[in-house]
Amino acid sequence: MLAVINRVLDWLKSLFWKEEMELTLVGLQNSGKTTFVNVIASNSFLEDMIPTVGFNMRKVTKGNVTIKIWDIGGQPRFRSMWERYCRGVNAIVYMVDAADHEKIEGSRNELHNLLDKPQLAGIPVLVLGNKKDLPDALDVNELIEQMNLAVIQDREICCYSISCKEKSNIDITLQWLINHSKSGSR
Amino acid sequence: MYHKRDKKDDEDLAIAGNIFAKITKTSALQDARSFNETPVNARKCTLILTKILYLMNQGETFTTQEATDLFFNITKLFQSKDTTLRRLVYIGIKELSKIAENVYVVTSSLTTDMNAKDDLCRPQALRALCHITDGTTFQGIERYMKQAIVDKNPAVASAALVSAHHMAKNIPEGVKRWVNEAQESVNSDNVMVQYHALGLLYHIKKTDRLAVSKFLAKYAQTGLKSPYAILMLLRIAAHLYSQDKQNGPYLSFIDKCLDHKSDLVCYEAASLLLKINCSTPINTAAAFAVCQSGLSSSRPVVRFAAIRTLNQVAMLRPTLVEYCNVELEHLITDSNRSIATLAITTLLKTGQEASVERLIKQISSFMNEISDEFKIVVVTATRKLCQKFPRKHAVMMNFLETMLRDDGGSEFKKAIVDTILHIIEDNPDAKEAGLAHLCEFIEDCEHTNLMIRILHLLGKEGPKTSRPARYIRYIYNRLILESAPFQAAAVSSLAKFGAHCEDLLPNVIVLLRRSLLEMDDEVRDRATFYLNVLLTKQKSLYNQFILNPLQVSIVDLEKSLQQYILDPKDTPFDLKTVPLATHPQNNDESAKKPTVNGMKPSSETVRVTKTAPNEVAETRRAIYEEQLAYFPEFEEAKLGPLIKSSQPVELTESETEYVVKCIKHVFKRHVVFQFDCINTCNDQILENVRVSMQVPEGYRKVCTVECPVLLYDAPGTTYSCVEIVSDNVSLYVGTFENLLLKYIVKDCDPNTGKVLDDEVGYDDEYALEDIEIVWSDFVQAIIKPDFVSAWEELGPNTEVAETFALQSFKTIDEAIKNIIYFMGLAPCERSDVVPEGKMSHSLYLSGVFHEEDEILAVAKLAVTNEGVTMKLSIRSNNLDISNFIVSIIA
Repeated sequence: MLAVINRVLDWLKSLFWKEEMELTLVGLQNSGKTTFVNVIASNSFLEDMIPTVGFNMRKVTKGNVTIKIWDIGGQPRFRSMWERYCRGVNAIVYMVDAADHEKIEGSRNELHNLLDKPQLAGIPVLVLGNKKDLPDALDVNELIEQMNLAVIQDREICCYSISCKEKSNIDITLQWLINHSKSGSR
Repeated sequence: MYHKRDKKDDEDLAIAGNIFAKITKTSALQDARSFNETPVNARKCTLILTKILYLMNQGETFTTQEATDLFFNITKLFQSKDTTLRRLVYIGIKELSKIAENVYVVTSSLTTDMNAKDDLCRPQALRALCHITDGTTFQGIERYMKQAIVDKNPAVASAALVSAHHMAKNIPEGVKRWVNEAQESVNSDNVMVQYHALGLLYHIKKTDRLAVSKFLAKYAQTGLKSPYAILMLLRIAAHLYSQDKQNGPYLSFIDKCLDHKSDLVCYEAASLLLKINCSTPINTAAAFAVCQSGLSSSRPVVRFAAIRTLNQVAMLRPTLVEYCNVELEHLITDSNRSIATLAITTLLKTGQEASVERLIKQISSFMNEISDEFKIVVVTATRKLCQKFPRKHAVMMNFLETMLRDDGGSEFKKAIVDTILHIIEDNPDAKEAGLAHLCEFIEDCEHTNLMIRILHLLGKEGPKTSRPARYIRYIYNRLILESAPFQAAAVSSLAKFGAHCEDLLPNVIVLLRRSLLEMDDEVRDRATFYLNVLLTKQKSLYNQFILNPLQVSIVDLEKSLQQYILDPKDTPFDLKTVPLATHPQNNDESAKKPTVNGMKPSSETVRVTKTAPNEVAETRRAIYEEQLAYFPEFEEAKLGPLIKSSQPVELTESETEYVVKCIKHVFKRHVVFQFDCINTCNDQILENVRVSMQVPEGYRKVCTVECPVLLYDAPGTTYSCVEIVSDNVSLYVGTFENLLLKYIVKDCDPNTGKVLDDEVGYDDEYALEDIEIVWSDFVQAIIKPDFVSAWEELGPNTEVAETFALQSFKTIDEAIKNIIYFMGLAPCERSDVVPEGKMSHSLYLSGVFHEEDEILAVAKLAVTNEGVTMKLSIRSNNLDISNFIVSIIA
């Protein structure tokens, strides 16, 4: 009985107050994941960041949606743990350094490796090409091609080109995230 | 008795009311999966996590896989903002950090938390962070640690300082870089931070004596606010003083602290002053006054501190402690039993013979109410008392016996039995009473070890008493009533009675016959064996198989048998090829030394010292044998098993260019000299290091093993092997002269230790002192448990007797020590202990020469005006040896 009432209360709450969503932010090291979290959380851009050892857990409230972000370190030793933190989230955000042409291939392989995991089937993926302010950064279409995103058919996938430094396209990214708060496996 | 039962009831109650009592690891791990649910239910997760921590603290073990899974589940809880849950997560991380893999993934999260605003979480996050940090992640957190050490929040600063102290174990170099921050924190206003900062500072600097004494002087002058910090300074000062007695300032600092306003500091200063051996009478008196006034304090903790200090120093300064006897008498009735126990034991240590009975009576009135640990303190005090007043043994025996009958843990029981055994050994008058008590005890004893020890003792001592028959009943009771191990021990004991006492022999034989039908193999085997030996009625067989059993080293026997099975020969296995277990010399000294610190359960220490030397000797032999077997040269020489290795002898003065020590390894027909060399010149490298020597008559040089390179300050070893050519025993002893250390010197760079490029080196040599091979190098000290029968067995026709006047010794004690050292034999029947005030004494010695010839010696010593006179009689398998021994002593 109590459980039923609780459920009703939860449902009411979610109607009037907040929605929660959980997403995992992964990508190779130095692609700007922690910076991105800082930008959407406090709209501040810091130049000198230290590498994330392990993960950071941040909560960001935008409108009536609370976004919980697992920001996982990108160094090789953490990559085996990505999957663990991606299970059951509403969306996976994959950060790519669009200006670092040498690492694009490695980034592509890691992404496809990750999405091949059966546990993560069906979870929407947002690929972000960061650092578009830099001169020879790839644009969206080049990125889609380079990352071979066309082959991914079994899930919703989207790609934006953004710049955390100039804060461009952050708004559409957020909008995409908020739109996915209800979908996905809960 | 009821005290213990109460405790048990409490436990039962606790289990009944404990919600955690029924959880299992499997269900807890199952529950831990719900950490992955979103949103996190903080209350539920808190409960689950608590259960898991409870399991860990109960000693449940987790495999690496389980721990890692659990750990990653726990990391999911970082999304909850609940403070209680978060703090539990930190504890969980700390507990799992040692078993789980990849724990470093939480580094960033913890760093964020420790720099966040939540003061409840910051110190905990920091502690957890330091737990998961190793050399590789250290640099990442260094900046934050430095900030935290000087943080405004005292809890954070303390946590950082203590964690730094822990991390210094693994990453000493890194932590050393925080010395400036630690220094700054010493000036903190918070008492705890100051204390912890001082602790870290000392830890960083403690290897540098000068630096420590500098900061000690500095803080002693400026004065610190925190009493804990001053306490620490005091201990450092006392430590430094004990290393360097000349230094006055340390002592005056401790002295000054006697007047400190914090009683904590006063007591520490006082107890340090009393414990430091050579403080002057003036400050001792002042320190003593502090303790004395504490005895009548209204606060139990102060009284306890004071009495504890007095108890500890009672043996060192009995006259001083006697002054407080009045106060101590009052404390006997103190409602705090710990205080009362210490008071009584202190009085026992200082008291007079007349008061012993009264004190014993008083203490037995509340024995039931104190914990085992304190009971052991009482037992230890009793033992010392027995040594002091042997005449009071009857009172104390009764007291010990009552304690034996009461409930108590096995440690406690062991302490009592040890004490009784000691009393029996030290005091022949107490023997019969003591044995009777022990007999009563084994009638109802649940401690296997003790029971077997007592049965063994009965077999050894019982037959020599006036009425051996009375013990037979007790032993036979064990044989009927107990389980196999006791029965086996009882059978051995019975056999000894049979071998020793003619009139009991028929009875013993009857009893042993009955045991032939026992269920257990070991019991039956022993009974059959002893029965057959006893039926032969031959004294010599008794001696060999019952009274003086096998004396080979068990480890080696096992090894030899294994080898024999692997590689069977036509000849039967020869026991004589197995190395003998030697009796380690002088270890009794350390075991008998009274422990000054009365608080420690001394039975523990006594036991350790008793067994350790024997094991050490065993392993030492094994190590050397293995080392020597490594060289093919020695294999060619067919050395056989190692008989004896001497203690290292220094062949150089210490503090010279090269330090050389020699160990003599004696084999059947060879002697190997092991030269351990150290090169103390940092600008030289020695190559092809070897030792040449002039070999005396009776020996022939076989081979040498060079040490190829001897680097600065790194030990190297070279060997020389000589063969014993002569069969004449008297040529075994000799001096090897003209020892020269020969080598090629090459100069090298002192900093890198690399040889300079164009260096070819030149030959050089260095003279060493002579080596003597002495009689005792060939002798193994082996105890005969029953000396008299062994002596009779060898018979008078191999006996050689001679009388000597030993003028250099003034007392029998001194003479005995030297005789044992010189002859290398083992004292039997505890004959190396001389009752005080006796003018004459008989010393029984036994051993084995060169692994084949048994030697027994009786030295009758008497004190005369001219020193000590000794009549030495030696019996041996080999008359030559007897003659030879006498000749070398002369």
